[in-house]
This record gives sequence, C-alpha cells and structure tokens, in this order.
Amino acid sequence: MSTLIYGTITSIVLALYTLGFSLTYGISGLANFAHGALYILSGFIAWSFINQAGFPFFLSALLAILISGLIGFAFYWVLLLRIRGIALSELIVTFAAGIAILELLTWRGFYGIQYSLPLFLRGGIEIKGVAVDYQRLFVIGTGIFLLILLYLFVHHTKIGLAFRGIAQNERTALSLGIESDWIGALSLAFGSALAAVAAIVILPMGIMESTIGYNVLIYALTVAIVGGLESTSGMIVASFIIGFGQVVTARYIGAQWMIIVPLSAIILVLAIRPSGLFGKFKELEERV
Amino acid sequence: MEILLEIKNLMVFFENALALNDLSLEIPTNEIVGVLGSNSAGKTTLMNTVSGLIIDMKKKEDRRGGERINVLGEIRFEGEDITNIKPSERVKRGIVLSRERHPIFKDSDVLENLKIAGYLRKGKEIKEGIDFAFNLFPALPELKKRKAGLLSGGEQQMLSIGMALVAKPRLLLMDEPLLGLSPFLQAKLAKSIKGILEQGITVLVTEQFARPLIPVIHRGYVIENGMLVFSGTREELSDNPEVKSAYLGV
Repeated sequence: MSTLIYGTITSIVLALYTLGFSLTYGISGLANFAHGALYILSGFIAWSFINQAGFPFFLSALLAILISGLIGFAFYWVLLLRIRGIALSELIVTFAAGIAILELLTWRGFYGIQYSLPLFLRGGIEIKGVAVDYQRLFVIGTGIFLLILLYLFVHHTKIGLAFRGIAQNERTALSLGIESDWIGALSLAFGSALAAVAAIVILPMGIMESTIGYNVLIYALTVAIVGGLESTSGMIVASFIIGFGQVVTARYIGAQWMIIVPLSAIILVLAIRPSGLFGKFKELEERV
Repeated sequence: MEILLEIKNLMVFFENALALNDLSLEIPTNEIVGVLGSNSAGKTTLMNTVSGLIIDMKKKEDRRGGERINVLGEIRFEGEDITNIKPSERVKRGIVLSRERHPIFKDSDVLENLKIAGYLRKGKEIKEGIDFAFNLFPALPELKKRKAGLLSGGEQQMLSIGMALVAKPRLLLMDEPLLGLSPFLQAKLAKSIKGILEQGITVLVTEQFARPLIPVIHRGYVIENGMLVFSGTREELSDNPEVKSAYLGV
C-alpha cells in the first residue's frame, strides 16, 4: 500500500515538473532548458512576496504564477524570437538563461533553511496503515485537476485550439490567420506558469535552494524523452513508470539507487524506441 | 467590372531564381478565376504571395540565415496595398488560402479542424461557417468525429476547403484543389466551387490539368516559368489550341 501511495505521489510530482516543459515543446517545438530555473525562481518570487512584502500566501502564489508566465512570454519575445527554428541556438539560449537565473539566485544568497513555502494544508491521515500528509494528497489533487483543466482548455478555447493547430501544422494554421510567434510566446508563458504552479504545490514539502532547478530540468527532460517529447499521454505514462520505479528502488534496493531509474529509462528508451514510448517517428517521417 | 484583387508587376525571387516574373493579373469580384500552369510554373508561389505566407517564409529564412526571398511589385485588395501585410491581417480582411495537397490537422477530428479554422471569427460566424461547409459537402457531417488523418484524400480536400470557408473568406484562394482526386471527385468538387461563388465568395483557383475546372471558371490566366503567357475568358481559353493541348488534354 505504501508503494502504491508514495509511487502515485512521486509520479504526479514528476508529471507536474514536466507538464509545462511538455506543453511548450508540444506546441512550438521549443525545448525550454530554462524550465527548471523558472520553477525554482517562481518559488523564490512567492517566498519574497510572503516574507518581504508581507502579502498573504494565496495572493503571493497567484502573483508568482502570473510573473512566471510573463517572464516566459518576455523570454520568447525578447530572446527566442530572433533564433526561432534554429534548434541548437534555442538550446544554447534557453540553457544559458536557465543557468543565469540559477546562479543569480545562488549569488543573491537564496539558499538555507529559512527559504521554504508554507504548506497549503497541515496534518495528515492514515490510509490502510500508511501515514500520508495532506500536502502530498493535495499534490495528487492538483496534478489531476491541472491535467483535466489543460485538456478542457486545449480542446474548448480559441487559444487552446490555436495551440493544437500550430502544433500539428504551422503553415496551415498560418494560412487560417493563426500567428505562430504569438502562439509560441503564449506557449512559453503557459509552460512557465505551469512550472510556477508545480513549484507552489511541491516546494512546501521541503527547503528551497537554487540547485533544485537543475534536478527539475533533469526530471522533466527524462519524463519527456521517455514518454515522447510532444505527447501528453506519454508524459503521464512515463511519470508513472519512473515514479513507481524510483519508489520501488528506494524501498527494496536503497534510496541511493533512485537516480539510476531515470537514467536507465533514458538509456533504454533511446536504445529501443528513440522517439519515446508515445512519440511519433518524426525523424522517419522527415526521411520519407 | 469591380476588381477585388489586383496584382501588378509581381516578382518573387528565391535567392537568384525568379519564381514569378513581372506577373500582373486582376481578379474581378464575384468571379471564379483560374490560373493554369505546369509543375514549377509558379502557381504555389503566387498563392503564397497573395495569402502572405511568403512573408512568414521570408522572416523564417532571414532568421536562420537561409535562402533570401524577395518580393517586388504590388498586390492590392479592394484598392488597398496589402503587399507587406502579414497573413493573419489578410485573413481578417477576407483573403483565405486552401493549401495544395490538403494539409489539414491530422490528429484532430473533423469538427475540431473546422473550429481551429475559425480562430479569427466570432462564435456565431464559426457556427455559420461550419453549417455552410456541411451543406456544401454533405459527406462531412457524418465524419465530424473522425480523426482527420484517417479521411480519404477526397474527404481531406473537402475538409481543407471547408476550413477555409469557416475562416470567412471574401476571396478564397484554392491551390490545386483537384490534385490527386478521381475524375468523379474532381467534377464534384468543381461543382462545389460554383456553390462557393453563389455565397458571394470570389475564387482564385490554380490547377495543372484544367479540364474539370474550365466549365466553372469565368476567366483564366496561363503562367509558365513564372510569366504570364496567356489570359482570357473561359471561351477564349477553351478555343486556344496551345491551352487545349497543354492543359485540357485535347
């Protein structure tokens, strides 16, 4: 039972790490290597509003999500617009921006025990003899809620439908009046805002430090690669494979071996099915 | 005769290759105008230039330091110069392109494709556009929940035109809509183009093989290597021996 509960929690945490990264890539084909940095930056923004400006937690959380979205939008419009379509340049710029954010946070002294976000819910319950705190259950609820919300948004709103149009056939979308740069900027804004939502619900479970940004990026990349970069269902399945793999490894082999799970998953997937479990064989299509 | 679209001395360069060479044509309101030409004649370049897609292509090539694309000349829509206006603004004004080889959104179902196409239109307009597309192509309503990638070539072509119609065109650009279709479907689609005109939508259509199209067009232009080589009414085209042998298979 413990494996089931904590496997589910770990899987949803991984899905939350990846959701924004996967959304941005799925729509605009942009791999945002600053995703992890935006995640931890959002946490520090929320912390600053709470502890330095004295704002209430919910307002601070909302502002952090909004600011993260705006940073994502500005990041696209100011930096990425000039190099769109050049994959290597995109990689270098997003990675460099991510490192700059993380190192800036370290330089400003954002590390230590005083940096933590308040829990949404205190206390916990026992499920069939397994103690679980409410915050972790809240993470599960948020993950499911976000996935449903995202599905409804993408399939039932104009912007969401435009996202789907650009993701599937950019030039046809353009011929119908959908602007790819505008949608690209929005996709990065939404991806960054989703990173902030993940940060707000996950970070209260521990202490914040800038290095978390690197870990989040590695997990997001792993899940996205294993699941298939542009596939939401693949992302969910990969989160559960890696999440449960990690919990089982920690329980039966040892916690120090947990990192082996994502690394082996990447190696296995790249060796057997390079486009990911649910990915499309784009490279093959292109060759044909 | 009121002119809806006027193209003056249009030249399009891809690096040093001239894709369109001093091309001038006029598209009168409420007419179906055909542009005939063989492979590499410049038909798709013409459609991409009128729809504004070439502006996006140029922007992307410039960003990555790729092929230099240059557009010279003038395109006027309802008397206004639109040569440098971006594609979305042209769609807002009513210039909508149905691209060649019916590139639809394959992972979405038919209805979602039509809804995506209405991005710049209001809810009521989208509904009217979908109703119009369904009336024009009665096969589409029963396929509305089917994934577009699973449709046949003919069905995808109908969907592609239906999508352009939901975008509420005043000038519909159709790039080789009959390509790859059976003679039966070609005749059916040509009839549908007439149905589009009856809704007050002017149509500019390109084709390689013009026989199914000739009965529905009012006038036509023949281009070769990006240059205009012949223009005239439907009757004049049908009577011209060179056009007959090259594009009508007679």
